[in-house]
Order: sequence, then structure tokens, then C-alpha cells
Amino acid sequence: MSYFIDLVIVGLSLGMVYGLVAIGISLIYSGLDVVHFAHGEIYMLGAFIGLWVFNTFGLPFPLVLLASMIITGLIGVVIERVFYRPILKSGGGYTVAGMAMVICGFGMAFVLQNIAFLIWGPRSLPFPVTFGMPIEIGNLTLPSSYVWIVAAALVLMSALHLFLKKTRLGLAVRAVAGNKDIAYLMGINVPLTISVTFGVACALGAAAGVLVGPINYVHVLMGLGILIKAFAAAVIGGFGSLPGAVLGGLLVGVVESLGAGYLSGNYKDIYAFILLIVVLMIRPAGLFGILAKVKA
Amino acid sequence: MLKTTDVTGGYGSVQILNGVSLAVERGKIVALLGGNGTGKSTMLKALSGLIKPWSGEILFDGERIDGMRPDLIVRRGLVQVTQGKEAYPGMTVEENLLLGAHIRTGRAVRARALERSYAYFPILKERRKQLTGTLSGGQLQMLCVARGLMSEPKMMLLDEPSAALAPQVVLDIFRAVARICRDGMTLLLVEQNVRMALLLADYGYVIKDGVIHLEGPAETLISDEAVRLSYLGGTVADRDRKLSM
Ligand SMILES: Nc1ncnc2c1ncn2[C@@H]1O[C@H](COP(=O)(O)OP(=O)(O)OP(=O)(O)O)[C@@H](O)[C@H]1O
Ligand SMILES: [Mg+2]
Repeated sequence: MSYFIDLVIVGLSLGMVYGLVAIGISLIYSGLDVVHFAHGEIYMLGAFIGLWVFNTFGLPFPLVLLASMIITGLIGVVIERVFYRPILKSGGGYTVAGMAMVICGFGMAFVLQNIAFLIWGPRSLPFPVTFGMPIEIGNLTLPSSYVWIVAAALVLMSALHLFLKKTRLGLAVRAVAGNKDIAYLMGINVPLTISVTFGVACALGAAAGVLVGPINYVHVLMGLGILIKAFAAAVIGGFGSLPGAVLGGLLVGVVESLGAGYLSGNYKDIYAFILLIVVLMIRPAGLFGILAKVKA
Repeated sequence: MLKTTDVTGGYGSVQILNGVSLAVERGKIVALLGGNGTGKSTMLKALSGLIKPWSGEILFDGERIDGMRPDLIVRRGLVQVTQGKEAYPGMTVEENLLLGAHIRTGRAVRARALERSYAYFPILKERRKQLTGTLSGGQLQMLCVARGLMSEPKMMLLDEPSAALAPQVVLDIFRAVARICRDGMTLLLVEQNVRMALLLADYGYVIKDGVIHLEGPAETLISDEAVRLSYLGGTVADRDRKLSM
């Protein structure tokens, strides 16, 4: 029984990480009408930048997390302004420009991988943060790194929720996601709001990378696996829905962890897709698909 | 307050506006009338910046606004309420209204704008926590007009507020619009409900095939035999109703 609980806890904390990346993909999808295929590399970049901040300045972990989010978020804004904006000007979604954007995203993934390779090299680097003693709740012993991941992810998700619900800018982000013409007529600076959306999505991806760093190694190719799983999480939850992205992430994380624990660790990456197929067979629009359709 | 000269424009390579010239004086209500697909909404989009005019000139408050980004036009005090009663269905009534006040940052200013909108449309105050998706068509139209007021504009462009609504509801909305204008709003009103529009308006333009076909004071247009036959179908009795509105 305690083995089962351990697996679930590991799954939930990994699921939170998938959820953070999936939220980013969903935010970009609803704001820019495109799937961002370089988002795994943003996560990788976030992890490396966090590691760099940690090694260079020796800041405490929460500040490392924050610093990486800010730096990566700004890099994201520049990428969107310089490379994606000119393409998206002529349309997104199922238009030709939308396809061009998908290809541009793949290209950006390679470019970022190669830049990271040139700076940090091909080796897996350790992220030597110490989180302190395991935390004991009743007769359960939780490794504190996992508790950290869950707690930090929950804080970030709550912050995002408050931002979108309670602030003027957050409301504008939702408006631009829903309908750009109407957003314009509300006096919203739509291009600027799209930059904000993209920046926030990249900051959340970076946070995921920094959170995973200490329990995994940091590596140039670490973005490949996460993109696919976060994508699965987003689709399972209902593409474009933020609560759906979190729920999808948690489901993927737990199923993967249980599968690796009880069946075989060799096929770890397959379980997410079995789950994806099963969910889509039962609910083709994803778990939160109806909410996602609210997008006008 | 608003003056356009020979505005042309359209979608892609399809020209819809073939040189529209019109003027709206401060504090006046001007009706822009015409049948289906004659370019009324397209003209409003050119005014609000949703499409860039191909040629011609748009002056608002003494400043050229043609080709300007829509949010900058809103900041200058010109607001468009679109035809489709387009609210954000996943947001509450109050969130929709607050979006309308996006360019106003002060907490007190936003609260004041909200109260002003609720004063014109009390039903919205009752429904303020409800999702917009649950509103009736009439309430949705009220929400869109109220949202347009939220930025405290100098002038409004109102696109067919009567479309697809029951006569009683149309009357309610026109009464509220009349009150808004009496409180100092300048209005360009696009309508297919020609009678109602001319009862409210001071001046009218009739657009056909993307050009102004006919114009004149509302009284003249409403009694003009040619206009009546082709667009109106109104009677003198309607004019008397204006007094009670
Ligand atoms: N987004 C668009 N893309 C291409 N053509 C459009 C678009 N919107 C409208 N049109 C076309 O432009 C013409 C004028 O449309 P517009 O919406 O301005 O008419 P309208 O006078 O507002 O009519 P209605 O009273 O039906 O609203 C129509 O032929 C319409 O098919
Ligand atoms: Mg129209």
C-alpha cells in the first residue's frame, strides 16, 4: 500500500510539472491560435537558466525559480515578437500562415537546442539543490523535493488564476483569447496582450524546468519528452482549457508512475498515450472540452 | 465631431465601400440606413479601425484616425458596439462590463462607470454575477451597449441594436439609447428598422452599394415618399410616438 502511495505522490508531482507546461501550451493556443511546438525547449531553457542563476549567484531556490521565470519569459517575448509575429500577422489556426507557424515552431525548437548545446554542452548537468529532510505526515514519509514541486506548482497556478480573474491585464488576456476584434474594440492593445500571454506561458514552462531540475538532470534534449506529454495532457483536459490542462497533467503523471511501478518502466512513455487514446474514445473533446468551446 | 470624406475599403480585394462621405455633429444622433449587405457594418469597421480604409479621410474630433489601430481609436473616445451582440460567453456580466473600461485604470473611475451603466440598464445589475451565456438576446444587447459606455466615450457607433429582438425589447433598448444621448452622447446609429431609427435621429443617411444614396434631416426622410416606399413603410402616427419616447 505504501508503495502505491509513493507511486501516486511521484506521479502527482510529475503531473504538476506536465500541467505547468500544458497550461503554457493552452495559453498560447487560446491567445495566438497556434500550437507552440518549441515549448519543450522553453522548459529546457528555463532549467538551464535556473541552473546558471543557482551556480552563479547562489540564490535560494524560490528566487532561482523566479529569476528563471522572468528571464525565460522575456526571451519568450522576444522570440514571439521577432519570429512568430510576422508570420501570425497573416493569420493563424488552419490558415497557411498557421501551418507556417507550426513549422516555425519546430525550427525554433532545433535552434534553441543548438544554442543550449553551444552554451552548456552535451552532458547532463546536476542541479544540486538540497531541500532538507523528508517530510513526515502520519506514517508517510515524503521526499521534500516532491513536496516542493507540488507546493510551488500550486502557488504558481493560483497566482495565474488570480491574475486572469482579478486583474485588468488578466481580463484582457482572456478577452484576446476569446475574440481579438472585440478585444480591440474594448480598447485593448491586442499585440501587447499577445506578448504578455506568450511571456507568461514561457515563464510557466521555465518554472516546470527549474522544478524538475533537482530530481532529474538538466540536459539539452530534456524538452523532447515533456512536449509530447504536456501535449497529451492538454488534449486530455480539452485543448485550450486551463483547469483541463492541470487535470490532464495530473492524470498523465499518475498513470505513467503507476504503469512504470507495476507494469514495466521500459514502456514508461507509452502509458500517457494509452490514456490519451482511451479518454478521446470516451470524450472526443477532452475532459473539459465543453468549457474549452466557450472560446468564440 | 466625426467627418468622413470619400472613404473606400473592403475585404481582401473585394471593394465594398465606394466612397462614403458623412458627418456627425457633436451631440447629434445620426442614422445610417440601408438594406442587407449594403456596407453599413463595413463602414463602421472602417471608422473603428477594424479594417483599414483603402483611401479617403476620417476625421474625429479634429484628428485623422483612418488606418489607426482600433484600441487607439477607443482611447480617443470613439467606441463601436458590433452587430452580433458579441459578448464573452464564458465571462460574467460584470467582467464583460469591466473589459469595456479597459482603458480606465483608476479603481474609482471603473466603479463609477459600472454604476452609470447599471443606472441605464438595471437588469444587468441584477444579473451581474451570471455568465453572459445565460442572458436573453435583449439583455445581451443591453450588455453590449452598456459595455460600450464603460470607457466613457465621446461618441458611439451602434450597429443594428434592434436586430432579431421582439418589438417590446427593441422599444426598451431605444428608450435607454435615447436617454444616453440626452445625457450628452453623440451617436451614429446603423439600423434596418428605419422607422425606429428616424424617430430617434436628427439626421439620416441612406447607403446603397457602398455609397451614400440619399441624406437629409430625419423629418424630411421620414416623410419623403421615395424613401418611404423603398425603405420605410412608416406612418405619421409613428412620429407622434416620438414624443412619448
Ligand atoms: N469579413 C468579411 N469578409 C468578406 N466579405 C465580407 C465580410 N463581412 C462582410 N462582407 C461582405 O461585405 C458586404 C457588406 O457587408 P456589411 O456587413 O457591411 O453589410 P451591412 O450593410 O452591415 O448588412 P446587414 O444589414 O445585413 O448587417 C456583404 O456583401 C458581405 O457579404
Ligand atoms: Mg451589418
